[in-house]
Amino acid sequence: MKIFKKIAALFAASALALTFAGCDNSGNSGSGDNSGGNSGNATFRNVDQIKESGEVTIGVFSDKNPFGYVDNEGNYKGYDVYFAERIAKDLGVELKLVPVEAASRVEFLETSKVDIILANFTVTDERAQKVDFALPYMKVALGVVSPDSAIIKSAEELNGKTLIVVKGTTAETYFTENYPDVKLQKYDEYNEAYSALQDGRGDAFSTDNTEVLAWAKSNPGFTVGIESLGSTDAIAPAVTKGNETLLTWLNDEIKTLGGEQFFHKDYDETLAAVYGDDETYKENLVVEGGEM
Amino acid sequence: MQGIEVLFMGNNMLRLLSGLWVTIRISLISIGFSLILGTLLGAVMTSKNPVVKAVCRVYLEIVRIMPQLVWLFVVFFGVTKLTGLNLGGETSAVIVFTIWGAAEMGDLVRGAFLAIPRHQFESSLSLGLSKTQMYVFIIFPQAIRGLIPNVINLSTRMIKTTALVSLIGVTEVLKVGKQIIDANRFEYPNAAIWVYAAIFFMYFLICFPLSMASRALTKKQQGGE
Amino acid sequence: MSEHIIDINNLVKHFGDNAVIDGISLSVSKGEVVVLIGPSGCGKSTLLRCLNGLEPIQGGTVTLHGEPVIHGDKSLYKVRQKIGMVFQSYDLFPHLTVLKNIMLSPIKVQKRDKAEVEAKARELLERVGLSDKADSYPSELSGGQKQRVAICRSLIMDPEIMLLDEITAALDPEMVHEVLNVVLDLAKNGTTMMIVTHEMAFAEAVADRVIFMDGGVIVEEGAPSEFFRNPKTERAQRFLKTFTYTK
Repeated sequence: MKIFKKIAALFAASALALTFAGCDNSGNSGSGDNSGGNSGNATFRNVDQIKESGEVTIGVFSDKNPFGYVDNEGNYKGYDVYFAERIAKDLGVELKLVPVEAASRVEFLETSKVDIILANFTVTDERAQKVDFALPYMKVALGVVSPDSAIIKSAEELNGKTLIVVKGTTAETYFTENYPDVKLQKYDEYNEAYSALQDGRGDAFSTDNTEVLAWAKSNPGFTVGIESLGSTDAIAPAVTKGNETLLTWLNDEIKTLGGEQFFHKDYDETLAAVYGDDETYKENLVVEGGEM
Repeated sequence: MQGIEVLFMGNNMLRLLSGLWVTIRISLISIGFSLILGTLLGAVMTSKNPVVKAVCRVYLEIVRIMPQLVWLFVVFFGVTKLTGLNLGGETSAVIVFTIWGAAEMGDLVRGAFLAIPRHQFESSLSLGLSKTQMYVFIIFPQAIRGLIPNVINLSTRMIKTTALVSLIGVTEVLKVGKQIIDANRFEYPNAAIWVYAAIFFMYFLICFPLSMASRALTKKQQGGE
Repeated sequence: MSEHIIDINNLVKHFGDNAVIDGISLSVSKGEVVVLIGPSGCGKSTLLRCLNGLEPIQGGTVTLHGEPVIHGDKSLYKVRQKIGMVFQSYDLFPHLTVLKNIMLSPIKVQKRDKAEVEAKARELLERVGLSDKADSYPSELSGGQKQRVAICRSLIMDPEIMLLDEITAALDPEMVHEVLNVVLDLAKNGTTMMIVTHEMAFAEAVADRVIFMDGGVIVEEGAPSEFFRNPKTERAQRFLKTFTYTK
């Protein structure tokens, strides 16, 4: 038993040693933030504390082109990143980007390992109980892409026709519930669905409008005939629950940026290359001044 | 060959290599700690005390039952939630892989010791060897010989499992690969296969020498019953 | 009688509630070969194991040249160098060559000169007919060869007494002879030995004195010629009868 206690102590000691070993020095392999003054508990940093520290930490995607990704030079790019850079500039601090995954976005905020999440974060009731969403800066709905030879321009036109969908997506549920006369052809993977559309196995394909827009852009002969269908989801920045100063600051920022049509410029810089600069497309995605 | 050029665009190759270095660094540190702590744990696990045995068994089973992904979340996020202590991503990764590695290593060490027949201990002592000499000259060399293949196996498993650390914000080689594929997904939709092939080759480059070393070491200590 | 190497005085050894050795007193003199026989589980192997401190004892004393043998005591390391022990199981170290098996202990424990030890080791191997196996690993040897190496490994320590614990029990019959011949040769050269064996013909040939044990006590002892021809006790008679076959 004596020996066991010794070993247990050793384990604890080495765990502590590891803690202070500080093996985090890899460039963009983010590691949360150690500079905050809130030692002792995992509380968020308010606007003053962020400004004082000289650095804002923002969680973004690193592999969701064109929203948040890392280019071939190793630099963060995308619609979300463009906004993040502006936030840092307006706060007057350095920007520290932390790569996050869809599955860990909420946790990063709950533990205050980032100040803000700007990672294509769709507002849902469930998430809103755990984090505080600011005003939206983008929106997403369903889109329908079809061949140029027979463009589908409204959902009613699909009645009696075959629509390709990917299993488990919003499109599948939406059409099942609202358009029972549309014949659904279901696939497991996106690339299977696109092949089916190209082979003419279905009359059209529906999924998130961002996705079909990007695909139609690089596949001549196909057009997104319906750019926005079903309920529109808001995409918004999120902060740790209760971080009111930062939330207010972000809301004010988004409203102010509306004045200069900032997100239209953001679209032109980052999304246009993928979705095209068609004005209707742009209006279907961009939210300016927080007003959907 | 369409898409292979993506590997050589910009800093991509360098980024993959630095991602590989993150993978190697986390793995090596974790394996090192696991070896030390696992050996101690293994020694403890050979204890005949039922309480000690039970505690070790429970520890091992808990570590095995919980997926490494859950452990990463528990250490990286859970510790911060509970104590406010803000562990870095790599530090958390090293802690998790050490907790896991030490448990598995402990079990391997325990097995290796128990596999040594009792008369090896007795004949060592009968020859007048001290306990220390017995372990150094007789027991450890035999235990290590049995351990090497298993330890190498565990190490390669640990190296491959480090791919999970991207979930706690650490960018290792696989994540860099995904970033490269994604950044070029419109211009080079076929780049994925080449990027994954390059990563496969990189994993092979670290794991292959390990298994070669293991084979060489086992051969060197050839003989035995 | 000449000087005593080992003195056992009223030795008691329990495994739990079971008294395996229940008060045994016995002395072995220099140059004497004592053979212990008796039915399985009579305590003869345990007795040998108590002599070099592998087993804790519950009563009595064991002394080697007047020095007490105490289980778990530091003095054991000194005592054990003077007691050579060969077991029933092949106990060579599998990761070392034959030569290194033999040389390990004199170099590491007795701190003897390496060249001298190697010369001695080769001489011993020659004596047991295994000169050509010096660089082999134990896995390359037959059971009989392994036991001969094990004997060399003990002999090189220049022990004052050799304890042989059923060293042929695990061997195939055709290998028993080569090992027992080595032991007979040792006896002829005056090596003090205590031998546990089931080979009755060998026991008779090698022993100066035979000790018959049963139920943890010495039942009968005497010169081999006496014991094997005219056992006095009924238990010894019954035991010896199990080794003879009549139609």
